[in-house]
Amino acid sequence: MSKPMDTKAPWSPAPGTRARIEALVARYPTKASALMPCIWAIQDEIGHVPPAGVDLLVETLGVTRARVNEVLTFFTMFRTEPQADHVLQVCHNISCHILGARPVIAHLEKKLGVRMGETTPDGKFALEGAECLGACGHGPCLQLGKHLYENLTPEKIDRMLESLRRGEIPRADTDRELED
Amino acid sequence: MAKLTIDGKEIEVADGTRLFDACTLARGEALPHFCYHPDLSVAGVCRLCQVEVEGMPKLTIACNTTVRDGMVVHTKNERVRKAAQQVLEMHLINHPVDCPICDQAGECGLQNQYMEYGLYDSEVEEADKVNKKKAQVIGPQVILDKERCVLCSRCVRFCNEVTGTGELGIYNRGDRAEIGTAPGIELDNNYSLNTVDICPVGALTSRDFRFQKRVWMLKSTESICTGCATGCNVRIDHEAGRIYRLKPRRNAEVNGAWMCDKGRMTYKGVHDEKRLLSPAAGGERLTWADAGQKLAAIAGAGVGLYVGSAHQTLEELWLLRRAAAGAPVSGGLANADRGQADALLLDADRTPNRAGLSLLGVGEDEPAQLAERIRKAQGAVVILGGDPAAEPAVAEALGGRTVVYVGTHRNATAQLATLALPGATWAEKAGIMVNRQGRLQELRQAVARAGDAREDWRILAELPAVRGDAPASLRALRQAAGADLGLDLTNLPASGLAPAGAAAPKTGGDA
Amino acid sequence: MSPNDYRMLSARFGRNDGHKLAVYEAEGGYRALRTVLSGMKPVDVREQVKAAGLRGRGGAGFPTGVKWGFVPEGADQVYFFVNADESEPGTFKDRYLLDYDPHQTIEGTIISSYAVRSNLAFIYIRGEFGWLVDRVQKAVDEAYAAGYLGKNILGSGYDLEMIVHKGAGAYICGEETGLINSVAGRKGQPSIKPPFPAVSGFLGKPTIINNVESVASVPFIINDGVEAYRRNGTEKSPGTKLFSVSGPVKRPGVYEIPLGLPFRDFFNDWLGGMVEGEKLKAVIVGGSSVPVLPAEEIMNCNLDYESLGQAGTMLGSGGMIIIPESSDMVELIQVLMHFYFDESCGQCTPCREGTGWLHKIVKRLRKGEGTPEDLALIEHVCAGMAGLTICPLADAAVMPMRSFLAKFRPEFEALIQETAPAGPQSRWPRGEREN
Repeated sequence: MSKPMDTKAPWSPAPGTRARIEALVARYPTKASALMPCIWAIQDEIGHVPPAGVDLLVETLGVTRARVNEVLTFFTMFRTEPQADHVLQVCHNISCHILGARPVIAHLEKKLGVRMGETTPDGKFALEGAECLGACGHGPCLQLGKHLYENLTPEKIDRMLESLRRGEIPRADTDRELED
Repeated sequence: MAKLTIDGKEIEVADGTRLFDACTLARGEALPHFCYHPDLSVAGVCRLCQVEVEGMPKLTIACNTTVRDGMVVHTKNERVRKAAQQVLEMHLINHPVDCPICDQAGECGLQNQYMEYGLYDSEVEEADKVNKKKAQVIGPQVILDKERCVLCSRCVRFCNEVTGTGELGIYNRGDRAEIGTAPGIELDNNYSLNTVDICPVGALTSRDFRFQKRVWMLKSTESICTGCATGCNVRIDHEAGRIYRLKPRRNAEVNGAWMCDKGRMTYKGVHDEKRLLSPAAGGERLTWADAGQKLAAIAGAGVGLYVGSAHQTLEELWLLRRAAAGAPVSGGLANADRGQADALLLDADRTPNRAGLSLLGVGEDEPAQLAERIRKAQGAVVILGGDPAAEPAVAEALGGRTVVYVGTHRNATAQLATLALPGATWAEKAGIMVNRQGRLQELRQAVARAGDAREDWRILAELPAVRGDAPASLRALRQAAGADLGLDLTNLPASGLAPAGAAAPKTGGDA
Repeated sequence: MSPNDYRMLSARFGRNDGHKLAVYEAEGGYRALRTVLSGMKPVDVREQVKAAGLRGRGGAGFPTGVKWGFVPEGADQVYFFVNADESEPGTFKDRYLLDYDPHQTIEGTIISSYAVRSNLAFIYIRGEFGWLVDRVQKAVDEAYAAGYLGKNILGSGYDLEMIVHKGAGAYICGEETGLINSVAGRKGQPSIKPPFPAVSGFLGKPTIINNVESVASVPFIINDGVEAYRRNGTEKSPGTKLFSVSGPVKRPGVYEIPLGLPFRDFFNDWLGGMVEGEKLKAVIVGGSSVPVLPAEEIMNCNLDYESLGQAGTMLGSGGMIIIPESSDMVELIQVLMHFYFDESCGQCTPCREGTGWLHKIVKRLRKGEGTPEDLALIEHVCAGMAGLTICPLADAAVMPMRSFLAKFRPEFEALIQETAPAGPQSRWPRGEREN
C-alpha cells in the first residue's frame, strides 16, 4: 500500500526500515546478495522504490545504480513509481482463463470504470493482469498485496470492493484463522 | 596439448583452449558471433557460434566450450548453417532497417552475417516490430539507438570489467529488454568510445563520427597515438586528406584492445584551423625559398641554443642534436603537458616521446632554467616543436631575441618567433616515438601535409652543421641515428620494438 | 487405490493445525532428522535417497541422490537452495506443502543440506506467495527455537543457517541458475553452463537446488526406508507424487498419487470426472510447458515419467490442467504464448525475439488477420528457438505451441480467412521469393 508522498522532501527510510536493512546486510553472505530483500523492505514501507531508495541501496550495498535499476525493472513486483492504494492483480493465465477469468475482469472493469492496466482517477484502485499465481484449482483469483483471493464471483468482487472502499482489507480464504 | 578435428582438419592446440579460438585457427576466420570478445567475460547470449561436436546431442556454443583431445567438430555442415541462419533471423526480426542512415553500415556484424547466412526475405510484419527509443545521447561521446541493439551485452561487460565504472545495464525482460544508463547517469568515462568499437551493430555510435563518412570510403593507416606517453597503437581512418576517426589497434604489450577517448580526439589537431600552414616572418607569409634564405642568414650569424620537445620524433631530436654540433641543447620544458593519469591507459605525461629524449641524453628544463639558458644563449634560439613560450618566464626571455620556430600550430611560440616554419603533425609524417615502457613504435603518414608544411627533419637538414652531409632520406636518417644509438631503426615490427630487444649488436663502425 | 491411501507428503493438507511444530513433532516430525544426525554420514543419506530413486519433483525428474553426488569432494563451502518459486501455470502443489506443512519441508531441507555438507540453506519462495512467506518464516523461527537449526543441531556438531528469501515475480527464477543469480543480487537470468551449479553456483561455490516436494519427500525415505518408498510407484518412477489439478472437474485440488496410477482411474475415481455439462477435450498433464494430449490419448496413459514420455508429453511439474470441450484451443494458446513472452528473461536472442513473435502471430490469427502462411511461420519460429538457447524456457514455449497446432490444427485453420488470397503473399513489396 502506498502512502501519500511528500513531494518536497526526498524519501528517507523509517527507523524500522533502516533496522530491517541493517539486519539483512548482516544476515546475507554478501552485501550484494541482500539486494532483493532490501528492496522489499523499502517497498513494504512506501509501496515503491523512489530515486532516494536507489541511492540508499547503492550506498548500503556497494552495487551500481545500473545494477539496482536492472533488478527493479526485471521483476514484475518491484515498482519505481508510487502505486495506487489498492493494486488488484487478476490472473489471466490458462487455468483461471478456463474457469472464467475474462468475465471476472470484465466485471471489475465495469465496477471500477477503468480498463485493465489503468488506475482509477482518484488513485484508489489499479487493475492489472498477472500471470499464474499458484491458485489454479481455486480460480479465478486475484492478488492484493499480501492477500490472495480465490474462487472469485461477481458477488465476491462486489463485497471486496465495498470493503476496500471502507478502508478495510477483506479477509481471504488463505488468511484462514490458524490455531496458535 | 589437445588434438582435435574441425571440419575434417586436424589441429593441435594447448589444453584449455577455447573451442571458439580453435575454430578460428582451423577455419582461418571466426565463427559467426556477436557477444564473444576475447577481452571480456563470456556471455553466451547471441547463440550464433553454435557448432556440432560429435557425441553431444545438442549444438553447443563454441565460446563456452573448452577443447578436449579427440573432439570432432563441424562448423559448416547443414545443421550448423541452418542454426546460424535461424538465430540470425531472430536477431533481425525487430531490427530496424536503418542501413541507409546508420553509421555502422559497411562494418556491421548483422550485415556481414546476413550476407553469409541470410539472403532471404523477411517474414515479419512491419507493424509487428518492437519499437524503442532511437538516437539517444547517453554521454559526451556516445549516442544510443535502442532498436538497433542486439543485446549482446558487450558494452555492459566492458563498463563492468574493463573500466569498472558500471554505467550501463540491460533493463526489462523479454523483447522489451534494452541497454541504457541508469537514470541520472551518463556514459562519460574516458573509455566510452571503446563501447562503440565493440558494439557489433549501430546501436552505440560515436557522436563525433556521426554522419561524417561512409566507412567503405575510408582508408586505414597504422600509427601511434601521440596524446600521452602510453603510445596506444592506433589505426587512422581517413579519406582524401582528411582524418575522420582513430581506432585502437590491438597490442598486447601496450594497450590491449583499447584506447582512451582523449587520445581518439587528438586527430582533430591535424585539421585545426590554427595550423601553421606556411613560413612566416614578422606576421607575413613567406615562400620556402625566401624562408630558406632567412634561415641561412640567421643560422650563419650563429645559433646559441637549440630547444627540442617531447612531442618530436626520435629521428628529429637526434638530428637536432647533431645540428647543434656542440652548442647547448635543451629537451624543452620539463613539466609541460602533464595531467592526471588514470588506472588504465592514460599516462600523466601527455607527450609521446619523453623517453626518446632520455634515450638521446637530452635533458629538459624547468621554466626558470630554460629562461636562463635562453638569456645566456650567444646567438639565435632554434625551437623544434612544443610551445615553450606559453610559459611567461620563457616568453619574456625570448622577447627581443632572434627565434626560429619549427611547429605545427600558430601558438604562442609561433607568434613571437622571428621566423616560423611549418612542420608536419604526427599524422602527416613517419617517425619513431619511444613510449613510457621504452618501446620504439612507428608513426606512419596517413594524410598529405597541410598547406606548405614539411617534414621537420628536412627543415632541420637546412641548418649549417647538417647541410653539408644531410641524410638523403628518412631511411638514411634512421640508419645514421640507429648506428649512433646502437639500434636498428629501419626495421621496426608493426607492434613496435621492446626495450630488451632493442639492444641490437653494434655493427662495426658503419655510420 | 483411493486418495486416502497416500498421505506421506499430504498428511496434514487441509488442516488448520498442521503447521504447528508441536503437532508436527507429535505426528513423528523431526524423528528423521534425529536419525540422520545421530549416526548417519552425509554419504549414507545420499546413498539412501539414491537407492529410493527419488526424482526431482520440480519438473526435470532428475534423480535427487545422483544430483547430490555432483558436489566435489572436499568442497570448502556448499550452498543449498529449496526452489519454492512455483510459477509453472497449473502448478500449485508446493504452495500446499508450504502452507499446510512447512515443517516437513524444513526437516527435509535440513537433512538434504546435511547430505551435501551445506551450512547455509535458502528457501526461495516466489513473491506472489507473500501471503504465506511470513508463515514459513515463523515455522523456521520455531525450528531454531527448538534447536533444529543454528549451531550444533541436536548436539551433533552440524551447523545450519536457514534464510527465507522472497522472490519478486519472475517465472525464470524457477530455473536453477536464474534462482541463484537473483539471490546473488543480479537479475534472475540463467547462466550459461558449464560451469554447472553443483560445481560452481552461488558465489562461485558448489550449490544444490531442489524442489520443495523433493526435499519434503526425504523425511519419509529416512523414517520408513527405501523399500517402503519404492512400494509405491513404478520401477523407474518410484514413490508418490503430488498432482495439482485445475479445470472444470468435480474435485480439483492437490492429490498425492502413486506414480503409475492410470490417468483414467485418477480422472474418473479421484477427480470425479468433469462437472455437469462439460466434456473432456484435452489435458496438459504437467504444467503448461509440456505438450498437450487430446482426451483419447491421455486416457491410455499412466501417470509416470515413462508412460507419459512415450505418449509424447512429460510428467513435468504435475500441474494438471483439464481442458473442456467448451474451450477454444487457439484462445488458450494465445494465453500461454503471452505468458512466455511476458516471462522470457530476454538474455538470449532466439527466446527473446521468438516468444514475442509467436505471441504476435497467434494474436493476429485470432484477430482474423491470419494468412495460410502463418501456420508454417509458427513452425519456422519454433524451429529457430528449440534447442538453441541458454535455458529451456524457449522449449517450454515451443512444446505447447507445437502440440496445440499438431493436435488441434483444424481450430487454427478455421481462423484463417477463406478470403485471404492463396499462396505466398507479400505484405509489402518485396523481391522474388525464389532465391
